[in-house]
Amino acid sequence: MILRQHKSTVISLVALLAGSAWAQGGKAPSVSFAPVSVVTAPRAAQTMVDLNFRVASGFHINSNTPKSEFLIPTNLKMDLPTDIILGKIQYPAGKDLVFPFSPDEKLNVYSGDFTIAVAVHPLHAVVPGKYVMHGVLRFQACDNAQCFPPKTLPVSFEVKVVKEPPGPRHNPAQSPHIHN
Amino acid sequence: MAVDDKSYTTAIDQSQGRCPKCGAPLERGSSFDPQADAAGTIICGACGAPHSVSDVAGGKPQADGGAIQPQMSAGKRNPFALVVVALVAAAMLYFGFHMARRSAPPAITKSGPAPDFTLQSLDGNSMRLSDFRGKAVLLNFWATWCGPCKIEMPWFIELQKQYQAQGLQIVGVAMDDSSKEDIAKFAQEMGVNYPVLIGKEAVGDAYGGVPALPESFFIGRDGKIVDKIIGLKGKSEIEDSIKKALNTEPANSQSATAALQPQK
Repeated sequence: MILRQHKSTVISLVALLAGSAWAQGGKAPSVSFAPVSVVTAPRAAQTMVDLNFRVASGFHINSNTPKSEFLIPTNLKMDLPTDIILGKIQYPAGKDLVFPFSPDEKLNVYSGDFTIAVAVHPLHAVVPGKYVMHGVLRFQACDNAQCFPPKTLPVSFEVKVVKEPPGPRHNPAQSPHIHN
Repeated sequence: MAVDDKSYTTAIDQSQGRCPKCGAPLERGSSFDPQADAAGTIICGACGAPHSVSDVAGGKPQADGGAIQPQMSAGKRNPFALVVVALVAAAMLYFGFHMARRSAPPAITKSGPAPDFTLQSLDGNSMRLSDFRGKAVLLNFWATWCGPCKIEMPWFIELQKQYQAQGLQIVGVAMDDSSKEDIAKFAQEMGVNYPVLIGKEAVGDAYGGVPALPESFFIGRDGKIVDKIIGLKGKSEIEDSIKKALNTEPANSQSATAALQPQK
């Protein structure tokens, strides 16, 4: 019991010290990723997974389709295990906004919360079980007066691959003979 | 219950120097060489039972003269020792973060000498900051992906024309991952009339890391930084800083050289 009490104290102390040092160390990340609960994906079927991101207040990032060739688009790149196919990544439409630094030109951006959907398609040969998908979100953030170099944010979620649901049952052929 | 010799360490009857299992003598010397066994275990030559070196070196004799004792379980460890270890770990974490911060690029101070550098320009020539000795320099860090930087560029073009005769030289440093061709295309589209250099991380570090763009340093004729602007500000503010830089006196040749020593 004493040991348990000390353990909790020690863990709290370490977390506090590390946290305070971290808080003092530079600007907070401008984009965060909300953890995803385990996604159940039947084999041989496509399952959509929503990945939720939040751009910190006061910041914006370019959408996946910015209006200038020189702007860096937000891009999700997933590394997938073998036999699990990644379908199309669906990016949300950005908002056309005018900023003080760009009064004559609207920029297509993400701000606040936004969701990127990823289609996961386990092949028939995949052994049922849990698989972790890893990837990175690349983005380039700005506020109203300055821009920050492009960054990558690690993204991961867990997929529980299950057997495909049984197909529709067909009634067995009826014998034309009636046995008395 | 059978005792597994691998799981337990037998205590040694140090007073007699004998193996508690079989009674054979355990003597220091040829049969006991702590340096030879990194795991700290000696094996009885007679019965092959393992014994801990610590027991031989400083262990207390066992009351039963050789009963097999299990090692102390983790749950019986002194909790205060754990607290001390954790405190040390926490302190290391804390100071580690601080050390990491200290190793970050140094902040550039106003009135300090502007770090010299050599970078390649868009036309492929090498250019040194000290090439502009005697002029007031506006050193502008920018990137093609930086919207606010794009706003400043027309102002810089106008200011370069306006103050060129008085000795102003604007120098752009592109902190881009883009190719030189893309940067050149962007600069051409913007109609830039001042040299644009291809930036390097080391140069950014020399100027405080340049964590956000745009960032401009105003360097006097004496090679010292007179002002710095981070982020997009008004044109008049930039102009005021240019005037500050133009109002400086060129240093004599010796001190100017010292102020513009290349970065090692």
